[in-house]
Amino acid sequence: MGNVLVLAEHRQGELRDISIEMLALAPSVAEALGGEVMVLLLGSEVGPMAEKIAGHGVKVLVVDDPLFADYNSDKYQKVLSALIDDYKPKLVMMGQTAQGVDLAPALAVEKGLPFVPDIIGLEVEGGVIKATRQLYSGKVNAQVALKEADTGLVTVREAAFEAPDPSTAGAVEKIDSPLKEDLDYRKFVEYIEAEIGDVDITQSEILVGIGRGLKEDKNLPVAEALAEVIKADLCGSRAACDAGWLPDDRQVGTSGKTVQPKLYICMGISGAFQHIAGIKGAKTIVAINKDPNAPIFAEADYAIIDDLHKIVPQLTEKLKELKG
Amino acid sequence: MMRGMKMTTENQTFAEKFDLLGCIQCGRCTGGCPVTVRTNLNVRRFVYDAYDEGLLEELARVTDIWDCTACHTCAVRCPKGLKPLEVLIGLRSLVVESGKTQPTVRDALESTFMEGNPWDKPRATRNDWMEGLDVRIAEPDQKVENLFFVCCTIAYDPRVQVTARNMVRLLKKAGVDYAFLGTDETCCGSEIFTLGEDGLFEMLIEDNTELLNEYRADRIVALSPHCFTTFNTHYPDLNKPVIHYTQLLAELLEQGKLVFEKGLHKKIVYHDPCYLGKQSGVFEEPRRVLQAIEGVELVEFNRNRERSLCCEGGGGKMWVESESKIERLAETRIKDAHALGADIVAAACPFCVLTLDDALKAEGFEEEMQVAEIMEILGELEEMQDNSSSAQEVED
Amino acid sequence: MKIFTCIKYVPDTSEAEVKLDSEGTGVDSSRFSFDINDADNYAVEESVLIKEKHDGDVTVVSIGPKNSDVMIRMAMAKGCDRAIRIEDERIAAHDPLMVAKVLAGAIKDQEFDLVFTGCMAEDYGQAATGVALAELLGVSHAAYVKKVEIEDGKVKAHRELEGGLREVVEISLPAVLTIQTGINEPRYAPIRGIRQAQKKELKVMNLDDLGIPEGEVNAEASRIVLEKLYIPVVESKAEIIEGEPEEKAEKLASILVKGGLV
Repeated sequence: MGNVLVLAEHRQGELRDISIEMLALAPSVAEALGGEVMVLLLGSEVGPMAEKIAGHGVKVLVVDDPLFADYNSDKYQKVLSALIDDYKPKLVMMGQTAQGVDLAPALAVEKGLPFVPDIIGLEVEGGVIKATRQLYSGKVNAQVALKEADTGLVTVREAAFEAPDPSTAGAVEKIDSPLKEDLDYRKFVEYIEAEIGDVDITQSEILVGIGRGLKEDKNLPVAEALAEVIKADLCGSRAACDAGWLPDDRQVGTSGKTVQPKLYICMGISGAFQHIAGIKGAKTIVAINKDPNAPIFAEADYAIIDDLHKIVPQLTEKLKELKG
Repeated sequence: MMRGMKMTTENQTFAEKFDLLGCIQCGRCTGGCPVTVRTNLNVRRFVYDAYDEGLLEELARVTDIWDCTACHTCAVRCPKGLKPLEVLIGLRSLVVESGKTQPTVRDALESTFMEGNPWDKPRATRNDWMEGLDVRIAEPDQKVENLFFVCCTIAYDPRVQVTARNMVRLLKKAGVDYAFLGTDETCCGSEIFTLGEDGLFEMLIEDNTELLNEYRADRIVALSPHCFTTFNTHYPDLNKPVIHYTQLLAELLEQGKLVFEKGLHKKIVYHDPCYLGKQSGVFEEPRRVLQAIEGVELVEFNRNRERSLCCEGGGGKMWVESESKIERLAETRIKDAHALGADIVAAACPFCVLTLDDALKAEGFEEEMQVAEIMEILGELEEMQDNSSSAQEVED
Repeated sequence: MKIFTCIKYVPDTSEAEVKLDSEGTGVDSSRFSFDINDADNYAVEESVLIKEKHDGDVTVVSIGPKNSDVMIRMAMAKGCDRAIRIEDERIAAHDPLMVAKVLAGAIKDQEFDLVFTGCMAEDYGQAATGVALAELLGVSHAAYVKKVEIEDGKVKAHRELEGGLREVVEISLPAVLTIQTGINEPRYAPIRGIRQAQKKELKVMNLDDLGIPEGEVNAEASRIVLEKLYIPVVESKAEIIEGEPEEKAEKLASILVKGGLV
């Protein structure tokens, strides 16, 4: 029996995309291992969420208990540890998310599991589970095999796989919580929302994105001038916000905002996957970067391989002329 | 903020180190200071206030100290022979020693310590500018007449790499005995000194002196005035003289070894870099080189030679932005050049080229005028054409 | 407050072309510059800030080659008090669980209140070592920490989640926190400070010194196998706009306007 156990992720009453994205991967792996997919949902009053997941033709195991209202690494680890013993899945999958990175390594140590974090590909070859992951910010790929074990563990990169559409209805099975009482090592205190400044970039129609390639804040007017002409809002990569060129609420990416503009023009952004994850909702992407190998070009619809400082001021001028 | 700041250096008080008591408060320093037109910097005031040890910490927190471009006008004009700018640098040192520098300054200093250049580039790629050129690399035991010191900015910044590339071609054409250093070449420390990192500057002086003294060269030829002046002012134990490349070119012209076969019918205004002119007294050689090109009409800025207007590229200003929104001095310079009807603003310093070029773009004069390193102009002449991709990159 | 801060010496590959070495199992690092891992630099600063506020001392722990001593001296110049550098070829460095075991071996028998790591290394990008280390040390943890508040034997850690959201958790000390970049502004280590830091203790140890059996942390012990490395083909669906800079700008402007995008 080679079942695959997928840990669903949710927050503030919303199922997170990664939960469904993993279902693009899990069924084929389960089939190759001769088992089935089981999705584990830990939460409080998560019935509708369970149904939504089950709509992808998978079996959903639900622990519905107020103890799991919010994510807590200690409680999650206890439950997963117990369920791994009970269900003996061949592979456990969870997201390489703020939740997954907080949980998976500890679980792997506790249970002595072969563990590969942040995978972007997974296959089974001759009974051996092999994962693909990236090194050096995506410049090198590695193929990593999990040694033979009762259970292996991988975490899956966000936005690496497209979430499948719902298919047939699967079963929802409520199971008893292996955790009988609360744990007090770690307490959830609160969520703090990012401060929304004058602009909410998640609602912007057109965005101009800046990255490390801008070099320094005195070059900010280059981007601002373009933004003004096309009525865009400015946003940036982590590097741009860390450098203080833009306030933190303008950061796009896994640790910032996910944006969905109809046009995204990014300059001097190499396209770290954290950033790319935040722009997957953009309809048209224009990338200007002098490094022809920059990963951003793989995402772009239009690409200019050149120094942004040479291109953008002229682009601004031409747009001014054309728009009259 | 300023925990652990040292008030005195090596048993000297701040006042002793900078000879503050020698100051007669005449105000010629502030009167001549070019950045006063766009910032609040009042160097005389700092010299006065710094008498009081108790005020140093507070003075070091005033952002004005980072406006100084180390052009040395104040030092040139001081009737008592003091260097008022070094008081500002001394205050910067207090900030640097406390560790609380601006991130851009921190990164430039760390990069210089780790990789030998302030541009955050690997040491291993320092000689990438040589790609496609057959460059003679110096060996310590081989005698050579002219040992070239490239400069971090010329080595790494694609805009000014042309200075070194064209120099290699010119040297070959003129049959000069030359060699360049390998990737061991390390920052001269000019900007490290002015950013106030004394400890790192001392380390660079020690290491560079040891490295350069090993070579059996008659002299060192520096491509940047910053390296040139720094070696001559701060490296007492160097065992060979250091000249600027324009001095070598003037010498080759005089000896008839360098002849420009092609003319250039352009009106050129020469901008005296502070580190070449007012700090080292090299005024005529660059002009002689330009005048040796047939067809060149050399014109002069009103503020020329000792009175040359600083471009604001020195004093560590490549890593510190002034808060002032008032027109940059480089923009004033470009406007002056434009009023003279110049086709080319010539400079012999990588920082001047970069700041003036920015200003040219800011003023929108790209169509009518051009900023060029002297070596770039010489490259326009016959048999000096650089056909490589990297040269095309710097031409546009 | 006894603090251990784990740091790593990594190549800067942000601008460089990465090539595989002749064996295809590693990368050719001859043209890279090396420095402290970005997130670890923030971890060093956070540990020194906490030391300055709450008293105590900071021990740096790093697994790496002799060349990385300069990075360790810089951390000590910033205020860390002593360091342990572990150098041993036998460690399966590609497996964060093996790396965590070695770090745990260096820390576990000593008194500690806090252990900091960077949240992710720039080279392997696994974001796993710190949390694995917490489990091995048997203490609580929080990952991706962007703010630390310490009071009464507890730490409030602000974790950075997706979408700009933060989660505040309270955990008891001792604990391991994996530090996210941007939590503070790392200070500069002046060269005079680095020279003075030469006086601070830097212990170089191997697995035998730490009493860690090789068979617990080597490639045999690791439950994963790094089979191969390869350079991915960047698939581009992009229309690449060619020409001189001015032409490129003009073509793009026209595409944007004619396509009704702006």
